[in-house]
Amino acid sequence: MNLDIEDTRQLLEGVGRFARERIADHASRPESPPGPEILAELTREASALGILPQSTEEEGFGIWENSTDAQAVSFSIGALRSIAHACPGVAFAWHRMALARVAAVELGLVLHEDELQRVLFSPTGHYGLARTSLAKWLKASPLQAEDITLLADWLDNQAHALTLCAPSNWRSLLRPVWCGDHIAWQQVSRSDLEVCENIQHGFDELTGFVVRQPSPAAAPIEREAQDARRLYGNLLKLDMLGLLAIGAGALERGEEQAKDYAAIRKQGGKAIVRHPAVQHMLSDIAIARQQADMALAQFARPVDELDIGVVATMRASVSVALCQAADQVIQVHGGIGYMRDAGPEKLVRDQNMLKLMSGGTREIHAFLAGWHGAC
Amino acid sequence: MKTTDYLEGYLPAGHLLAPHWQYADLPLIGRALTNYQANDLWRMDFNRLPGALAKLRSRARAFAEQHLMPAAAELDLAPHSPACQVHPEVERILCEAGKQGWLSYFLPAPLGTMPWRALPHAPVWQCSLVVEEFSRACGGLMLLLSAHHLGCMPLILSGEVGTLLHHLGPVYRSCKQGDPHLVAFAITEPGAGSDAEEGHGAEVYRPGVVATPTKGGYLLNGRKCFISGGDLARSATVFAALQGEGMESWTCFYVDCATPGYKVVRTELKMGMRASGAAEIELTDVFVPFNRIIGGLRRGWALNRATLNASRIPVASMGVGFARAATETAIEFARRYNLGGKPLIHYQDVQLHLATMVAETRAMRSLIWQEARAARQPRQLNASLCKFHATDRAQHVCEMAMDLLADHGGRHENKLEKIFRDVRLTRIFEGTNQINRLSLIEDWQGQLLDLNEHVGV
Repeated sequence: MNLDIEDTRQLLEGVGRFARERIADHASRPESPPGPEILAELTREASALGILPQSTEEEGFGIWENSTDAQAVSFSIGALRSIAHACPGVAFAWHRMALARVAAVELGLVLHEDELQRVLFSPTGHYGLARTSLAKWLKASPLQAEDITLLADWLDNQAHALTLCAPSNWRSLLRPVWCGDHIAWQQVSRSDLEVCENIQHGFDELTGFVVRQPSPAAAPIEREAQDARRLYGNLLKLDMLGLLAIGAGALERGEEQAKDYAAIRKQGGKAIVRHPAVQHMLSDIAIARQQADMALAQFARPVDELDIGVVATMRASVSVALCQAADQVIQVHGGIGYMRDAGPEKLVRDQNMLKLMSGGTREIHAFLAGWHGAC
Repeated sequence: MKTTDYLEGYLPAGHLLAPHWQYADLPLIGRALTNYQANDLWRMDFNRLPGALAKLRSRARAFAEQHLMPAAAELDLAPHSPACQVHPEVERILCEAGKQGWLSYFLPAPLGTMPWRALPHAPVWQCSLVVEEFSRACGGLMLLLSAHHLGCMPLILSGEVGTLLHHLGPVYRSCKQGDPHLVAFAITEPGAGSDAEEGHGAEVYRPGVVATPTKGGYLLNGRKCFISGGDLARSATVFAALQGEGMESWTCFYVDCATPGYKVVRTELKMGMRASGAAEIELTDVFVPFNRIIGGLRRGWALNRATLNASRIPVASMGVGFARAATETAIEFARRYNLGGKPLIHYQDVQLHLATMVAETRAMRSLIWQEARAARQPRQLNASLCKFHATDRAQHVCEMAMDLLADHGGRHENKLEKIFRDVRLTRIFEGTNQINRLSLIEDWQGQLLDLNEHVGV
C-alpha cells in the first residue's frame, strides 16, 4: 500500500509530536546527552509507533520502508528532519538502523525487532568513496585492473579498520565486501570482530568504534550483478539523503536558537538582530537551510529514479553549507555559543560528523568524475 | 625511512628533466641566482629570523614538544574540574613554564626574562613566535600560559615605573622561581561581550562592575565572565566604572584574588581549549587600595583598547599554530595511510589539497610576521586585520584537514577534531571577528572620510 500526501502529512505530524515530546525532552541539555538506556527506550518507543521498521518480515511505513514510493521517501526525509531537530545523534542512529532493514530485506536476511535494532550498518569502505572506481562500477563502466585493486582494498576490513558511530549495544555488523567483480554483503557477529571504542568529535549520544575483522568471515551474501549494483546504489543514495535530511533538521533548530538569541541579546544598546553583522549571519543560516530544503524536495521521488550523481553533488555542496551555517549559529551567540551547555557548539560538531561520515565529501569530486565517465 | 624516491606523477630528482640538480652545475652567477636549498619550511623561516628571535622560537618549540604536547589529549578529555581545582599536570607545566621564563618574557632582566638581544624587536613579534609554537602543541595549555600575559599587559602599558616595580616585578619573580603567580584580564561582563571591546557599544552600555570610593581606595561590585585563567589567577586586572559614571570612567584595578569578596563562581564547560578555565567572577565589596589603580582613574578604556591592540596579533598567531598543527597532521596521515595499495600522498587530488593548506598556513604566518615586526606600537587596524583574517583562514585549514581524513577526521586520537574545537574560540575571543572587522574600519575612518586624500591599501 502506498502513501498519499495526506497520509504523509499526518504521519509526519505524529513523528514531530514524538520528537518534541519525547526526544527533545531527553536531549534538552546538550552537555548531558541521553545515555544508552534512554536511547534504547526511545528506540523501542519509535519502533512501537511504527517510525522505525519493526522487523524484516513486517511491512510498515517506517523510515526508508518502501522507498520505491515517492511519498514514502518524502516521509522518511521529513521524519529524519524532525528527529534531528530534536537530536541529530538519535536521528543518525535510526537512519542507519532503517537502512540496515532495507539491505536485510533485499538480501533475504530475517531479522526480528531486537536483532534489527542491534545491527551496525556500514555503507562504505575504510576511506572515502573509492575515488572514481566505485562510481564506474555503479555505472557498469568497464573496470581497469587498478579499479578492481582499489575496490578490493576499499572494502577490505581485514587490512583496514572501519571508523563507525552507533549505539553501544550493537551485536552484528552489516557491510559491503568486494567479490572479484561486484559488491556483496556480509553480516558479521560482533564477537568475530576486533572492536575498539573511540572518542568521536560529535554525536555524543552514540559511541565511536574502530572495527576490524581479524580473520575471513562467512561467505558473503551475493546478488546478480545488476541487482548488486541497484541495491548498493540505492543504499548509498538513501544514506546520502538521510545525512542531508538530518543536517537540515539540525540546522533548523540552530536557526531558531540563533534568531531567539539575536532578538534578546543586546549590544550597543539594541538587540543584536538589528546589527547588520548579525543580520548577515542569520541570512547565511537561512540561505543554507533553504538550499537544503530545495535539495531534499527534489529527492522526494522513488529511489530507483534518483541519479546518484545528483544526490552526491547535492551532498558535496549542501553539507558544506550546513556546516558553515551551523558555525554561524555559534558566532551569533558569541562567547556563550562556545559553551557546551548552550547548544550551538554541539550543532557544529554534529554537522561536521555528518560531513565526514560515509566517505566524507572531499572524494565526491572523484566519485563524480567516475560517474560522468571522465576516466 | 623513505619508501620510494619520488611521488607518482613526478620525476625522480636525478632525472634529466628535473631542474634542481642542474642549478648546481650552472656558472657561479647562475648558481647564485638559482641554486636554492630545499630546507624544511619551519627551518627555512627560522633561518630568516633575527638570531635572538630564532633562538626564542626554537626554545618555545622545544618546551611545547616536551611539556605541552604530551599532556594535550589527557587534559582535553579530563572531567570538568570544580572551579579553582588545578590538574596536577597543569600545575607541573605552570611551574616549569615559570622557571623557563615563559611567564615573564615581556620585559628583560632584571624584571623579566626577555633576552636582551631580543630587545630591538617588538615584544608582540616575540610573543607571536612563542604563541604559534604553543598553539601547535595544545590550545588549552597555550591559552593558560598566554592569558597571563594579557592580564599583565595593562600593568606594562600603564608605563608607570612604580607599577612595574611594585606589581609586575613580584609576579615575574614568583613565576621565575617556579611558583606561578598568574594574572587574569577581566573586561567581559554578562551583559557586555562586544560592548567591552568597541567604543560605539560602550557608549550606551550601563557598566556591570562598579567601583565605589571608600576610605583608602575603592570597593568593587559586580560580575565578570569568560575570564581566561581567572580560576587559577592570583591577581587580576579588573576594569570597572566609577560609581554613577559610564564606560568613559573605566578604570583598571589590580586586584589581589585573595581579597575578601572575590569569588570564582564557576568555570565554563567549553567546546575546546579545555586545559584553560574560563571563569565567572563575582565581586562583592572587594577592596582595592589606591596604589592598585593602574594608569590612573578613567584611563581604563584606553588601557583596555591598547591591551587588545597588543594581544590581537598573538591571537592571529594562535591561528597559525592551529593551522600548522592541522596541516602537519594531515600530511602525516597522507604519508602513512594506504588506499589501493599506496599512501594517499601519491594521489594528485590529495597533493592539491595539502598544497592549499600549506600555502594558507604560510600566508597567515607571512602576514603576521610582517605586521608583528612593526608592532612596537601596535596599530588597531593592523592588529584587528591580522586577528580576523588569520583565525578565519586557520579554521578553514583545520576543516580541510578533517575533510582529508574523511571518516577518520572525527576520531579524537587523530588530533584534528581537538584542533578544530580549539581554533574555533579564536574567532570569538579578543573581540569576535565581526567586531574586529569593524575595529579596522573604526581606526581608518579619518582617512576614509577625507575626500581630499587618496586611500592607500
